[in-house]
Amino acid sequence: MAETKKQTRAEKKALKERMKHLRSGKLEKRYARTGFIFMIPWFIGAAVFLAYPLGSSFWYALNNIRITPLGRIFNFVGHGNFTQILIQDPDFMVYLVDYLTSTIISVPIIVVFALLIAMMLNMKIKGKGFFRLIFFLPVIIVSGPILGMLNSQGAGSVSAIDTAALSGAIGSVLPEIIAKPISDVFSNMITTLWYSGVQILIFLSGLQKIDKSMYEAAKIDGGSGWECFWKITLPNLRSMILLNTIYTVVFISNNSENPIIGLIKDSMFSGTKEKGYGYASAMAWLYSVVVLILVGLFALLLMTRKDQYEKQVKRAMKARKRETRNKKRIERRNRRNARRIEQQRAKGRITSHTTKRDDY
Amino acid sequence: MKKKLTAMLLAGLMTVGILAGCGNSGGGSTGNTGSSGGGDTASSGGNAGGATSVTNDYELVTVDGSSHQYKKYKDMTTEPITLTYFHFDQDEIVQYLAKRFMQIYPNITVNVQYENVATYNTTLSTLVSNNQAPDLIMHSDCDYALSNMLLADISSYFNTDEETKNLADTITAAGLGTYSLEGGMRYSVPVKFFPGVIFIDRNVLETLNLKVPTQQWKWEDMIQLIKDATVLNSPDGMAYYGLGYYNRLDSYYGIAARQDIIGEFGFNGKVFDLSEWAVGEQEFSNLKLGGYIAPSTETQAMEDWCGDWEGWAGNTGHAAIFSEAFWTFQNTWNTPAYKEAYNLDIVPYVIPAVSEADAGADHHSIATIDYGGVTTSCKYQREAYELLKFMAFGVDGWYTRCEAYADESIVNALGTALKYDVMPVPITKDEGVWDEYIKVFCAGMDDEHTGLWRDYFASCMQPISFGWTSIAGYWNFCDEYFNKIGIHDLVDNGTAQAADYVEEANRKANYYHAQAMLDYFGPSAYNVLSESEIAEYEKMKTDNQ
Repeated sequence: MAETKKQTRAEKKALKERMKHLRSGKLEKRYARTGFIFMIPWFIGAAVFLAYPLGSSFWYALNNIRITPLGRIFNFVGHGNFTQILIQDPDFMVYLVDYLTSTIISVPIIVVFALLIAMMLNMKIKGKGFFRLIFFLPVIIVSGPILGMLNSQGAGSVSAIDTAALSGAIGSVLPEIIAKPISDVFSNMITTLWYSGVQILIFLSGLQKIDKSMYEAAKIDGGSGWECFWKITLPNLRSMILLNTIYTVVFISNNSENPIIGLIKDSMFSGTKEKGYGYASAMAWLYSVVVLILVGLFALLLMTRKDQYEKQVKRAMKARKRETRNKKRIERRNRRNARRIEQQRAKGRITSHTTKRDDY
Repeated sequence: MKKKLTAMLLAGLMTVGILAGCGNSGGGSTGNTGSSGGGDTASSGGNAGGATSVTNDYELVTVDGSSHQYKKYKDMTTEPITLTYFHFDQDEIVQYLAKRFMQIYPNITVNVQYENVATYNTTLSTLVSNNQAPDLIMHSDCDYALSNMLLADISSYFNTDEETKNLADTITAAGLGTYSLEGGMRYSVPVKFFPGVIFIDRNVLETLNLKVPTQQWKWEDMIQLIKDATVLNSPDGMAYYGLGYYNRLDSYYGIAARQDIIGEFGFNGKVFDLSEWAVGEQEFSNLKLGGYIAPSTETQAMEDWCGDWEGWAGNTGHAAIFSEAFWTFQNTWNTPAYKEAYNLDIVPYVIPAVSEADAGADHHSIATIDYGGVTTSCKYQREAYELLKFMAFGVDGWYTRCEAYADESIVNALGTALKYDVMPVPITKDEGVWDEYIKVFCAGMDDEHTGLWRDYFASCMQPISFGWTSIAGYWNFCDEYFNKIGIHDLVDNGTAQAADYVEEANRKANYYHAQAMLDYFGPSAYNVLSESEIAEYEKMKTDNQ
């Protein structure tokens, strides 16, 4: 039996070796070539518009740069720009803390709002398409300068909400560092909600993918709408929630209304000699590291985990396997003991009533 | 096969499409001389064989549409060339001037590019980094222009040009545009000049039975008048205020205090001394705290005062003195609609000097001046200088400007006649130009008011520009220290005294100035500082570290 097993293993190894030396067929090669050709635009695009600018901006970050009509003048300063930003530029750290707190607060609001609207838009209502358009319209219209203009005219806040009173109330309960971003979210409520157009669309597509029969089965079993939401809708939208959260973080981080983006831009074109392209690049790198960490944290928090039911099934399967294994082991031992007793009995060493309890 | 070919073709097209955006658009006049190590210095763009000075040899020519005889200089190139002028001036007037210049020099094409002042530096930096630097630029913030070595040395033209001898005295005496360099290099010339002015509403003084001052008034006279004209419990139920402000008085005082001061914050050409500024700052703050200054627009105090949240002291008829900008007169108070709607009698006064001796004569006063220069990459520097002069301070340019301002059918994008938009003041002392200018400026005024304006214009020709336009490192100082601390707010709300900051501010200002001089003009940049200047600025930097 053991010999047969060994043979099989050797065969498998030999097969693997043979496979290694096997040359792929013409058709396979052609497919591979075509695939590579289709990937070339992406590779070139990534090299030219991603890798090269990334490399350049990192090189810029290590230099003090002057852009003169006669060319660029680089002066290598090593980590000088980073040190200056972290130690001597109070604005950056203040803006960064503001950004972090406001993002952590506004991302859940945007995502939850988008989910609610998507669920409403997924219901059987008249003029569904029109409502979908209404909620997506801000994505097209309200961008960049227009958003800035609207905000400056006070269109970003709900006039019915007494933001001053709200800010006062929040400020009296919470410390300033937490109270300020929360009040900012309320005073820019409309803007925050305008940011959810794309997320609504993503959630809509996710909702439409959920199998209707699951809801039907749940209804037959007496499940309420509330239970259906928590046990069917939400688990099925988990990956969409993660996607939307990351999208929202990236959107907020790159938005032209974000003060850090403004700070980087101002530094880029600042007359102050210490600033300029190099300083701005260093600031952008520091900022992108912070954004990456934030995205990573959100991803860790929301990464799709295995379902509880699946976990229980797996646990039960494992327990069953363990039981079967134990049962088999006991059977084997019984057989072995029975054989041994038989052999000793045949030799006339023991009689049936002398069997020791320990043999078991 | 057909499908495969189409697929390949599409992939190829996508690749080409991606690469299409990467090409160098060209158009720039120079190549990229990127260097590392900090030791390399960009050299001049060259002069393409043109004249290196102004020979002042010209012929008089007339052009279609004007009876004025223009000087056509003989040392200008006859080759067909194009000059690009990048500006944030009033675009219609610049276009008008460019057309006239091209009539005088038909071989020169002037390409005018306007950019809003808010995005001006950003757009200019983008152009420069794309090797599309213009030939001539305007600038407001000199730190930006100098740190990026945008400006070429035009002293050989400026110093040999006869017309420059007739400019306002301080242009040379206070070194405006030369950045206090011992070598006398000039990088900028004034393009737009708006003199400092104090406006008085004579109707308010008459209502309050107050005496109208003379043009020789002193600083303390002005402060007293502000106090006297403040009547909080007036019989008509609406309070009178002494001062409606736009510009802060500390900037005014800092220049009016002494004649050896040639820049903001007590700058004397080498070092800063903020002690005089502190006096003005404190005085202004005391006026504010004392309730002598009219409420600012969009405040509750303004609504309480005149019943309009967005009200403006300038049209209430209840504010006596205004530290408004020069252009407010033409584009607001002197417009037909305004004259009709409000009963105001606004007259100009020169910013008063602090000492009696200075008040009796022409004295320095702060002015809004925007500068311009020829870029380092410009190939036709002689021609570019001539165009710059035409756009900025040249006599011929100003005759053309007056012609355009007088014609009220020439309007801006909003349909307003150029005269009522933002009309600057000639910085030349040429009498012919001034006669034309006053004719345009005072059109429709009675003799008395015309006389008042004449008197004012005669007294405002000792301008000193705001610090950020003419002192290297000034903006860095404000950015990194003054504004960062928020000194104005601290003093205004009474939590600090201006004098408390003088010592530290002097050190900081001198440090940033010394550092800027070394950075901009030292060996790693223009490289025009003498050994003694380098040593001096190094010492100043170390002493004030």
